[in-house]
Amino acid sequence: MNKIVLVIKREFLTRVRKPSFWILTIIVPILLAALYAIPIYLALKPAEKSVVMVVDESGLFGGLDREDTLRSDSRFVSTDNVAYRYAATFDYARRAMDSEDDADAILYIRRRATDAIPTDACLYYKSDLPTQQVRFDVDRQLQSILRNRLLQAHGISDDEYALISNTKINLRTEDMETGMEAFIEVKSGLGLILSMLIYVVIFMFGAQVMRGVVEEKSSRIVEVIICSVKPFQLMMGKVIGIAMVGITQFLLWIALTGIALVGIQASNSDLFRMATEKHEIAELATKGSEATAQMQQAGQLGEIPQLVEGIASIDFKVIVPLFLFYFLFGYLLYATLFAAAGAMSDNDTDTQLFSLPLTIPLLITLLLMPTMMNAPSGVLSQVLSYIPFTSPVAMMLRVPFGVPTGQVVTSMVLLLVSIPLCTWIAAKIYRTTILRYNLLAQWRKKK
Amino acid sequence: MFLEALHIEKNYGSFRALDDVSLGVEEGTVFGLLGPNGAGKTTLIRLINRISLPDRGELLINGQPMSDADVREIGYLPEERGLYRKMKVGEQAVYLAQLKGLAKRDAEKRLMQWFEKFDIADWWNRPVEQLSKGMQQKVQFIVTVLHEPRLLIFDEPFSGFDPVNATMLKEEILNLRKRGATVILSTHNMSSVEELCDDIALINKSHVVLSGNVEKIRRSYSAGTYRVELDRRPDNLQMPEWCVDCTVEEGNALRVTLGSDRSANDLLAVLLPQVRIVSFRELLPSMNDIFIATVKKGGDRE
Repeated sequence: MNKIVLVIKREFLTRVRKPSFWILTIIVPILLAALYAIPIYLALKPAEKSVVMVVDESGLFGGLDREDTLRSDSRFVSTDNVAYRYAATFDYARRAMDSEDDADAILYIRRRATDAIPTDACLYYKSDLPTQQVRFDVDRQLQSILRNRLLQAHGISDDEYALISNTKINLRTEDMETGMEAFIEVKSGLGLILSMLIYVVIFMFGAQVMRGVVEEKSSRIVEVIICSVKPFQLMMGKVIGIAMVGITQFLLWIALTGIALVGIQASNSDLFRMATEKHEIAELATKGSEATAQMQQAGQLGEIPQLVEGIASIDFKVIVPLFLFYFLFGYLLYATLFAAAGAMSDNDTDTQLFSLPLTIPLLITLLLMPTMMNAPSGVLSQVLSYIPFTSPVAMMLRVPFGVPTGQVVTSMVLLLVSIPLCTWIAAKIYRTTILRYNLLAQWRKKK
Repeated sequence: MFLEALHIEKNYGSFRALDDVSLGVEEGTVFGLLGPNGAGKTTLIRLINRISLPDRGELLINGQPMSDADVREIGYLPEERGLYRKMKVGEQAVYLAQLKGLAKRDAEKRLMQWFEKFDIADWWNRPVEQLSKGMQQKVQFIVTVLHEPRLLIFDEPFSGFDPVNATMLKEEILNLRKRGATVILSTHNMSSVEELCDDIALINKSHVVLSGNVEKIRRSYSAGTYRVELDRRPDNLQMPEWCVDCTVEEGNALRVTLGSDRSANDLLAVLLPQVRIVSFRELLPSMNDIFIATVKKGGDRE
């Protein structure tokens, strides 16, 4: 028993000491933190103020009036990021852009004799494409001014308009018992991410087991070791050692990502307060209050609260332990078989052939994902979440939607029961093939 | 008898690797396990190491059936041997010693002694892949003998060694025997068999075809050939017709092969009246000749 501990220790330490382990350990949290921070930075960081020259030939957008005579909802208003300046003619604006270099773009609203209302405007730029923020703001103000003009022309008050535009029927999909909304898109997305992730990690660490076995076999070190350690001990030592590497890596990822996120928030506290405020405003807006102005301000953030609410409706306390369970035991199921595939191979080329049967069940599950997504509790989904070889991926797809406890327990028990069986078969293959070479050539000759 | 194999049979599928193999190894001797490639030597060695188990027959140590516990008393240097390439030499040697049951500190102490003896102490912290093949062989040899096993099994130990290191290895093997260890040596190097081995067993096509004491075997294969050195050129000698073959060699010597019913005394009786004899020696066949003759005979039989 002591020997298997020695093997585990070696497998663990040699891998953890590799630079590649630490590179991966550090890169993943950085990527995750970046994924979290960059959109916020981009959305909130006051970029250099862009200057847009407005050339309004139609007169509908305040181009022909003196600025101080106009209502603020009938002309372009400078914001934090975009300064608007009116120019009388396109040529004048163009000269301004060429000479002073302080204008970034020209918004040209052309007057057409045939149309009372212009249907076409163009944002001209030179060399530097205007940022999405600028384009967004220009578009928003264009639509808003046009709408206000029309409302005035038709004698509709702002309140009447707000009533009309905010009144809509909201279609939800709800669980009859819990009364919780389904948030299907959010859950599908999460299910997809989780099942892809579990597929990748099972394969990544399974392949490590296989490569380790082939390394021992092709270097013939196994000939030396096998007389002091039972083949089963050597195999299980490797499988367990690599499992511990995986768990260590996961824990480090979680810890480092946590530290990184806290760090980002602390070093940019203002930014994050702003973000929170924006979320709050946006939330108010979607709740259908009459805060039209606020809603306009929230504008693009309208989607976020639903995402937040959807994520909030997901029970992470269930998902995280389930993910760890299916990762660990899914890995254990496959790892021993990967070890057997490695034992049969003489080199890396052989492993591709021998590990092919192992990839098939996981690949099938991946291919059937769209079908399962359509009916997360359908027959196909249920069957695949019972078969131990497909259950880790299938279950991760279903888990965000909630799976009946009975089904989860059945699936877990089936997985747990099949592990010793697989290990037994794999150990037998491993024992009989680890000291035999050219198996592939021998089998070909027999045929 | 220290190690005994009784009527061992081992099959791989339909192929019978060992068939009714029996042999005995005396304690404190060097035992040569000979045979052409594919004869079944490695299979037998793996059975002794309990890497696999025989289909029929028994292996005894000191008269008792072998158990897993006995494996701890074995040091095995396999023919196909390797090391983890990326691991450091010292760390790896300690790991392999620990697998053999040595405590870490004990292993380190013994290893340092051996490393210094073999002049590779400077390599302790280098990765194995930087070592030459000969140095790797030294490390493997050290790891094999480190836990001071009572039975040592060397499978082709000399491959990869230059003559200097091969001689050193031979000396070490004899040293181990002197200290009471029993050695099984599997090799194709027949001159080293003559130098080192007390007894041998020759396996061919899954069967033991020849076994016993090296001297006795050579004697039994003796064709009655003698080398006689004289004080002058052996001209005009009268030789009887029962001298089947008589040739003159360099250095005033005669090489005489006698008929099967004659002895050295008869030859001397003929020669003494005619010449002065400086030396008289029986020429025994080399193990190489015996090996080839025996294996060829086996080949003809099939």
